[in-house]
Amino acid sequence: MAKKKVVVNFRFREKLNKIPGGKHHNYCYQCSACVAVCPAARFSKEFNPRKILLQALLGAEEDLLGKDSPIWLCTNCYSCYERCPQDVRPIEVIIALKNMAVEKETAPTNLAKLTENITKTGMSVMVSSAVHRRRKELGLPELKTIPLDEMKEILKDEETKEQSSIEQKTNK
Amino acid sequence: MKIIPFWGCMMPLKYPQMELAIRRTLPNLGVELVDIDDFTCCPDPIYFKARDKMKWLTIAARNLAVAEETGLDIVTMCSGCISTLKEAQYLLAEDQALKDEVNKRLKRINKEYKGKVKVSHAVVVIRDDLGLDVVKKSVKRSLEGITVAIHYGCHILKPSQIMHVDDADYPSILDDFVAAMGATPLEHHEKLLCCGKGCMDDELPLDMTEAIFSSIEKSGADCMGLVCPTCFSSFDLGQIMISRKRGKNYNIPVIYLFQLLGLAQGLGPEEVGLHTHRVKADKVLEKIVG
Repeated sequence: MAKKKVVVNFRFREKLNKIPGGKHHNYCYQCSACVAVCPAARFSKEFNPRKILLQALLGAEEDLLGKDSPIWLCTNCYSCYERCPQDVRPIEVIIALKNMAVEKETAPTNLAKLTENITKTGMSVMVSSAVHRRRKELGLPELKTIPLDEMKEILKDEETKEQSSIEQKTNK
Repeated sequence: MKIIPFWGCMMPLKYPQMELAIRRTLPNLGVELVDIDDFTCCPDPIYFKARDKMKWLTIAARNLAVAEETGLDIVTMCSGCISTLKEAQYLLAEDQALKDEVNKRLKRINKEYKGKVKVSHAVVVIRDDLGLDVVKKSVKRSLEGITVAIHYGCHILKPSQIMHVDDADYPSILDDFVAAMGATPLEHHEKLLCCGKGCMDDELPLDMTEAIFSSIEKSGADCMGLVCPTCFSSFDLGQIMISRKRGKNYNIPVIYLFQLLGLAQGLGPEEVGLHTHRVKADKVLEKIVG
């Protein structure tokens, strides 16, 4: 039988190591305890957390970050984190991989829609007039103010922050 | 006991009936809610965290720093909020470099996360700080004979090394809560299965929700009881979706456990917002209210 050459993409793994939770992928010894408790694996043949960890160890960027990547089938239930004897925290590795897919612009398009409210308004659900009406009908108090400016300030990347302070200086 | 409620987004904005139930029931247990300004979304532990974990952590740390300034404990009623806030605390305690990086960002708004605030969930406060006897004493209307299939949901339990709520495989906290109200928690096969909401797929979440409902149907429970607003959306609206897409009708009312507590404390169904649910609770309410 012809042997297939395995090439490990260490550059990919180094990148994964830098995202919070990413470096725990190094601890995986492929025992499959995560698969046994994974509800997504129970209901879908396409999803297998052990395989995702193996692909992470190999640095299989195309499989993990492609548009058809199975990582998005993860239910985020934390059963793998609970069960893993190696403290791999598979779900956290998968979330780190999702961050990489977002950066590569291969994440599902509805992810941006599901999250844009938070950066725009500070809340994940739109504060519409219907919300105010429904709360009033139930006799609930007015909503508290949302400190959007503060939230935006802490989310600024260093470069844009410097830029904005330069802008402020020139405005003065 | 004074606590700061951390309402999050889902409860005040999407399911205000849950906030209503909390506001009506906790004072009867001797809890005073001290509302404060300045919280944002926790942020959500599924989508926003998938987008940018570092930003997710930064926003969570800001919320924790805001709470810290008050000197009181914060209590969440949402499984998503407790998941985010507790995990953020865990990560920031575990990794000093990460904490420094986050605090560097918080410094821009003159805030700092020190790691002193205690974050809890309302059901944990009731079990550990108040005691279930306080629940029993607040009961004014008998729920005897009402059977409740409890759905724990994932985020309040796992990972247990962070959540410190209960045994993730054999939890009893919600069963005991329901029993203290006078109702009967019923075992069913899929009690601990994930609702599937976090999965970015059209069919998989419905498969999982269906597995849970067929298990509850076999148990013969009067209703489903839960504490997670995201699970609630999977199950209340989810039953309508399953009926439309798959032609199956389970018709099992989904009740937030503080709504059930409200009924036990003598409140009317509308006073705890049960009329806002898609799957009507008429049958079980007839048994309770008559």
